[in-house]
Amino acid sequence: MRLTDITLQNLRRRKMRSALLVLSVVIGVASIIFLYSTTQVMKEDVANKLDQFGSNILILPDSGAAMNFGGITVEAPTQVKELDMSLIPLMQTIKNKETLATIAPKLLVDTKINGQTILLLGVDFRQELRLKKWWKLNGLAKDQIPSTNEVILGSDVARSLGFSPNQTITIKEQEFRVAGIIQPTGSTENDQAIFIDLTVLQKLANRPNAISLIETAALCYTCPIEEVTQQLSTKLPGTKVTALKSTLESRDDTVNRFNLFARIVSLILFLASSLVITMTMKASVEERTREIGILRAIGFRKRHIIQIILTEVGLLGSLGGLLGYLLGMGAAVRYGSVLVKTQVHIPWQANLLVYAILASILLSLIASLNPAWQAARLDPTESLRYM
Amino acid sequence: MSLIKIREVTKNYKGGDGVVEALKTINLEIAEGEFLALMGPSGSGKSTLLSVLGGLNPPTSGKLIIDDIDVYALAPERLADFRHEYVGFVFQQYQLIPYLTALENVMLPLAITSHTAKEQRDMAQTVLDKVGLGTKSLRLPNQLSGGEQNRVAIARAIVNKPAIIFADEPTGSLDSKTAIELLELFQTLNQGGLTIIMVTHNQENLNWVSRSVFIRDGVLVPIPEEA
Repeated sequence: MRLTDITLQNLRRRKMRSALLVLSVVIGVASIIFLYSTTQVMKEDVANKLDQFGSNILILPDSGAAMNFGGITVEAPTQVKELDMSLIPLMQTIKNKETLATIAPKLLVDTKINGQTILLLGVDFRQELRLKKWWKLNGLAKDQIPSTNEVILGSDVARSLGFSPNQTITIKEQEFRVAGIIQPTGSTENDQAIFIDLTVLQKLANRPNAISLIETAALCYTCPIEEVTQQLSTKLPGTKVTALKSTLESRDDTVNRFNLFARIVSLILFLASSLVITMTMKASVEERTREIGILRAIGFRKRHIIQIILTEVGLLGSLGGLLGYLLGMGAAVRYGSVLVKTQVHIPWQANLLVYAILASILLSLIASLNPAWQAARLDPTESLRYM
Repeated sequence: MSLIKIREVTKNYKGGDGVVEALKTINLEIAEGEFLALMGPSGSGKSTLLSVLGGLNPPTSGKLIIDDIDVYALAPERLADFRHEYVGFVFQQYQLIPYLTALENVMLPLAITSHTAKEQRDMAQTVLDKVGLGTKSLRLPNQLSGGEQNRVAIARAIVNKPAIIFADEPTGSLDSKTAIELLELFQTLNQGGLTIIMVTHNQENLNWVSRSVFIRDGVLVPIPEEA
């Protein structure tokens, strides 16, 4: 017989109390696992959506005079030094290439229309519209991609030149149909520009393959944006790769709020479980006062008593952790995505099982330290009502 | 040669009416191999004296020397080791653990030794055979009679081969036939060299012991004729 045998026999005998303790751990662990898993996907979902709302990395030529684009400094459109389309396949070779959700190259050219200097932005419409999901366009149907003989006008340009959708506009002696007009966005690069097909503008400007900058949306929830930026810098010599801090900060702020919420709720559940375990073990020790007195009288040391009690609670804690993981993870996988209305699927995370069991054992042991110590300190004479 | 020496021992308790003097300056020596009866009326202090002698209950003052060890000068954990090594208890109401079989109850003191599980099992079975319960070793306490439970308690007390057995009213709840069987068992163990100190209020038990002392109001007194 070993001390563990005494523990196991006691567990068999006190099935109800043992079940209660396991249940309190299961509820705590399952809730925390469910909350953690679902908030993780909520965070991922929010981060993805925020990423899709705009670019968070800009790639620019690394020299020369500058202009302001989207709140950061970019090369002047007249600058001789420029990028070219060969960079795009290179971008697809970085280690974290799967995070580059959208790559939107642009050529910036200025032109005169009706005596006004207007910025022409050559874009890949498909990529641009994916990047600018927040644009509200008059005249363009949802998911409609403008053709090569169509343009989109910024609101200021449309107003100052007096154009509306479906009218024809002449740019560099070529006629284009106005496919849509962007409702005011408050940013100059959207409101004061004409968006035109990139290859068409390259031909009109006689700058084949040329691009002025590349905007890219990196889905960086699962990757450090600094790392992606570094990887792009290494792969694209002669360029300046810049992360747009404001986009990242707003995303991080939202994600951090989710984190904080999850942590607070987890802490409350953790404390509630601890309290139940402490109370259960306290009651268990009181119930076993006489038994502990016998063990102390026949020569068991205090540490033997503590070992018996902590082994018991450790076993129950690990069982609770395992069941809690299965319940919490199962519920999260089955119902989590539906419950929080996210497209992101919640996968089974085996690593959480290790954490769940370790945390449950630790929680149970900490919560039972006081009852175990009280048990060890019981006076054998008093326990046996010997006098 | 005295195995146990108790010197100037007093024991006070705080009661509702102030301090209660349970033991008043007790001096006693018990030789190795003695079978001593500790007699006295209810509330005389005999169980308190037994618990002090057994290393369970530190006296308010005085000393307990067993085998030249100043028992209550030992650190608490060493005192537990001392009880494990030197002392076996047979408590009132047997004090068996209800969810362990007779064999497992007897194995309890061995659980904190380095004996293997098989050695423990063999040792426990041997002492159960010795007390006549070899065939009932797998029964739970509630499946045994009072006398049988008492024998299990004795087996548990002797399994670790202690020097001294302390028994508190071991025959108190037994019928006379079972009580005699138990005293015969004690006598056999005593003849094997075990020192036994037994609290009893039954004068008939004195026929089985080698010496008896009488306690009244916390003081050892000559055995009264009517006792």
